[in-house]
Amino acid sequence: MAAWPRSSVAKKFLNAIAGIGLFLFVVVHLLENLLLLTGNPDDYNRWAHFLESFGVGLRIVEIGLAAFFIAHIWSSLLVYWDKVKARPQGYRVYRTAGGTSRQTLSSRTMIYTGLVLLAFVIWHVITFRFGPYYPIMVDGVEMRDLHRLVVEVFNEPINVVLYVGVMVFLGLHLRHGFWSALQSLGAYHPRWTPLWYSGGVLIAGALAVGFVVIPLWVYLYL
Amino acid sequence: MAKKMTLHLRIWRQPNPHTPGKFVTYTIRDVSSDMSLLDLLDVLNEELIKKGEQPVEFDNDCREGICGMCGFLVNGVAHGPKRGRTACQQYLRDFKDGETITLEPFRAKAFPVIKDLVVDRSALDRIMAAGGYISVNTGSAPDANSIPIPKDIAEQAFDAAACIGCGACVAACPNASASLFVGAKIAHLALLPQGQPERIRRVLRMVEQMDKEGFGDCSNHGECEAVCPKNISIKHIAIMRREYLRALFCS
Amino acid sequence: MAIAIKLLDAKAPSGPLESRWTRHKDQLKLVSPTNKRKYTILVVGTGLAGASAAASLAELGYNVKAFCIQDSPRRAHSIAAQGGINAAKNYRNDGDSVWRLFYDTIKGGDFRARESNVYRLAELSLNIIDQCVAQGVPFAREYGGLLDTRSFGGALVERTFYARGQTGQQLLLGAYSAMMRQVDAGRVTLYPRREMLDLVVINGQARGIVCRNLVTGELEPYVGDAVVLCTGGYGNAYFLATYAKNSNATAIWRCHKRGAFFANPCFVQIHPTCIPATGDYQSKLTLMSESLRNDGRVWVPTKKGDTRPPNEIPQDERDYFLERKYPTYGNLVPRDIASRAVKAVCDEGRGVGATGRAVYLDFSDTIREKGIDYIKEKYGNLFEMYQHITGEDPYKVPMRIYPAVHYTMGGLWVDYNLMSTIPGLFVLGEANFSDHGANRLGASALMQGLADGYFIIPYTIGDYFANTTLPKVSTEHSAFKDSLADVHRFLTKLLSIKGNKTVLEFHRELGMILWDYVGMARNAQGLQIAIEKIRRLREEFWNNLKVPGDANMLNKNLEMAGRVADFLELAELMAIDALHREESCGAHFREEYQTPDGEALRNDEKFCYVAAWEYTGDLSKPELHKEPLVFEFVKPTVRSYK
Repeated sequence: MAAWPRSSVAKKFLNAIAGIGLFLFVVVHLLENLLLLTGNPDDYNRWAHFLESFGVGLRIVEIGLAAFFIAHIWSSLLVYWDKVKARPQGYRVYRTAGGTSRQTLSSRTMIYTGLVLLAFVIWHVITFRFGPYYPIMVDGVEMRDLHRLVVEVFNEPINVVLYVGVMVFLGLHLRHGFWSALQSLGAYHPRWTPLWYSGGVLIAGALAVGFVVIPLWVYLYL
Repeated sequence: MAKKMTLHLRIWRQPNPHTPGKFVTYTIRDVSSDMSLLDLLDVLNEELIKKGEQPVEFDNDCREGICGMCGFLVNGVAHGPKRGRTACQQYLRDFKDGETITLEPFRAKAFPVIKDLVVDRSALDRIMAAGGYISVNTGSAPDANSIPIPKDIAEQAFDAAACIGCGACVAACPNASASLFVGAKIAHLALLPQGQPERIRRVLRMVEQMDKEGFGDCSNHGECEAVCPKNISIKHIAIMRREYLRALFCS
Repeated sequence: MAIAIKLLDAKAPSGPLESRWTRHKDQLKLVSPTNKRKYTILVVGTGLAGASAAASLAELGYNVKAFCIQDSPRRAHSIAAQGGINAAKNYRNDGDSVWRLFYDTIKGGDFRARESNVYRLAELSLNIIDQCVAQGVPFAREYGGLLDTRSFGGALVERTFYARGQTGQQLLLGAYSAMMRQVDAGRVTLYPRREMLDLVVINGQARGIVCRNLVTGELEPYVGDAVVLCTGGYGNAYFLATYAKNSNATAIWRCHKRGAFFANPCFVQIHPTCIPATGDYQSKLTLMSESLRNDGRVWVPTKKGDTRPPNEIPQDERDYFLERKYPTYGNLVPRDIASRAVKAVCDEGRGVGATGRAVYLDFSDTIREKGIDYIKEKYGNLFEMYQHITGEDPYKVPMRIYPAVHYTMGGLWVDYNLMSTIPGLFVLGEANFSDHGANRLGASALMQGLADGYFIIPYTIGDYFANTTLPKVSTEHSAFKDSLADVHRFLTKLLSIKGNKTVLEFHRELGMILWDYVGMARNAQGLQIAIEKIRRLREEFWNNLKVPGDANMLNKNLEMAGRVADFLELAELMAIDALHREESCGAHFREEYQTPDGEALRNDEKFCYVAAWEYTGDLSKPELHKEPLVFEFVKPTVRSYK
């Protein structure tokens, strides 16, 4: 069965595995960024420097992360493309039957929220990863002052508004994405699945709120 | 108790696959609330024939919810408002007097419209031919009680085997995916000891055929389960995926 | 009516009953594997009989073309059978045996079936269960993992295997999947949405069929070396019946008109437990499985016109009339007996519901004793179905039920090899007349369909091929051209009448005539009236029918018109047969022939035969052929369930 990577089921495996990888990254990333709230700018910079110290190791992780992004995006676009092809003529009247349906605004807008997140990630990488290099001495070591960059960016109201807006999309994306990834991998359990499904709301909400807090905090207090 | 109702039917009319269709609205007065939705279409068709117009074509056969032949969207929901039922099991008592009921055919690339509300669902048969069976020639079976099957396994297999192949799952799915139909058959046979020898081949071939027919991929909206007249759970889609994973590692 | 009498040879084997089928099989000629590939078999209909035949024949190596009227072969009406399938497995150790199943079936049929056939059926019942389990049919099981059974009407043992209330569905899906496997293997070609409209007979042999492609309207000829007809029964002649809307008699009737004899057309089963009709818009009745009579008790108020709600009627004012009249079998008497008893109490004015044409089927005693979960597990989907249709909750109020047409024991006459009087035309399942005599026991239809398809036709068709010279023919043969022209003319005629009445109106009227005069109770005067009325209605049909649209498109009204045209002809034969059979047996109850307490009075002296009717060209003057029924092993007795 040479065709299996293109099969509808395999596409969803790829999408789910990459999605779970990205989800874990987002969780870690939030925890990292919470260092901005410690009150000591050095904490944040020290962490960034620690990561940088891995050198090639970090590059490999970055490439891996990029690969997850590409896999997730590529498989999502394929799923979307298949969906478009599968129903050339749409319904004039269509609504969800309710009941046990998991069809929500979140599930119906995955491709759009995903594309917004993609655009955001590109902006985010350009702004921070490839942004200006401000040197600073911490503990007698010269390192990049990322804290200053973050404060600069989030003192622009427009950036704060955009960022907060995008985090709402992130929440929407994860609301369906979280449980859906598990279901795509075949993890269904009569007792646990409803938990994952409801838990998805909490997790998505928590992450979105967490990310929203950061720019607001920076804007208001730093 | 039965009461009299007036209903407006907004029905998709399409003379053949090549001519674009459109909605036409008809009004039917003084019908009993004990009628089924298909009885109502019968009454409408009698009126249309008497007036010299073309009756509305719709597939139906057993009219007791088991053959899977009927089915269309009723007010945007496959089979209609009452869950766990086919279109033929919808009764007027579940609609409001004076309501406009919109009837639209199942839509999917794999289900081309033939006429009015009639669509071609032969894609589902082709998926079945690709492995929805246990290869046992007539006459070669051992005694029926030689393979004990735990009651709960038999019950679970039955839950999956209850599928009537109506295609509502495809119709309701935002992606027009046939995963619930395929998953139910794969799960039915994978759960039973008789289905083990062909387990790997079956899931790979059925999924491949499903994709070939032009159905969309499953994005876990779960809408299929909500419209399934036999209440088949999306658990079976998860089972299909597990079977597929297993097949990838075992083949 | 001039009745010329010719005797028919059933080719049933002789000798000890137990070894007849085995010896017969041993004597049948075989076709070599290489030669099997050279034969094409046309299987019409894909229900239990058709799908199992198509699968089994293809497994042997024959080329099979399978035709069905629905969009998918899985939709055939076998799918709607609810209760179960009989098999003499004796897993319960309750004394069941092949002999007992044979005896119950032949007695249930009121001694109007062939001993050899019925014994073979009982024998094959064992293999059927094995085959179905191997295919993955999820039968009900006990906690130990072994198969569960329940009891059904007309039997004192629990031999009915079941899959919730959807046994027919699961068995059909098994047969369908076996057939789809052969589709995948390239041995079966499917032709869905095709309606067989004629049989092509060349040199006296069935060599092909003409179908209408129901999507495009095209007439399509198909050549074959044999035709296997599995098109079900003709109960839809009554309009209101438990049949699917597309079930029809057209295939068997057109074959009849091409020379196949029609046997016992008046034997029509009226099932006692159906949901009563609520209005004249209704076009279909729904059955409530006989299995419900295991746990439900049938009753009516003792007083006439008692309109109190059922739960307000005290026990001593209820008449559990089946238990009263038939203490041994109680609520589990055979269908014909139960139906007549229901009709009798309703005729007395003790019926319930708005129309007074219904009796209660009450589960409250069982719910009290065994709990609601017991009922839910066994009959959950049936209760749900009842609630969907009536809007009433049968867990709280008793069901209301009334008899409805459900099955036809009559059908095309076949010999022991299941071949009709046209060589090369085999008839299986409900479409033939073979095994149920004058009344079919519950859970036996599935058994017969599968026995015919899986285990009989694969043997007997080979014998036919091995013994027959089949010259090569093509669709260019004049017989095909004539047949195509006939069908074309017929369809054009239907469309050209342009009268005022719709097909549905004619069908409904025909149904009323049959129900009133050729229904649960018949008499000579009524039957003569029926014949007159049918003739008049037929004449009106051909002068005042209105069919919309044309023949070159999907046109369900045109399809229905053709079917009703055939029902209008068949109906007369049903009445003629009922009139000629001056006795009461099984489902055929002639009011003139009954015992003082209202039970059927058979006349074995004069009517112990199969009445096989030949089409003579004049619908009103069919020619009667008799196949005498010889009982060597059982003694026809008065059928008592008391």
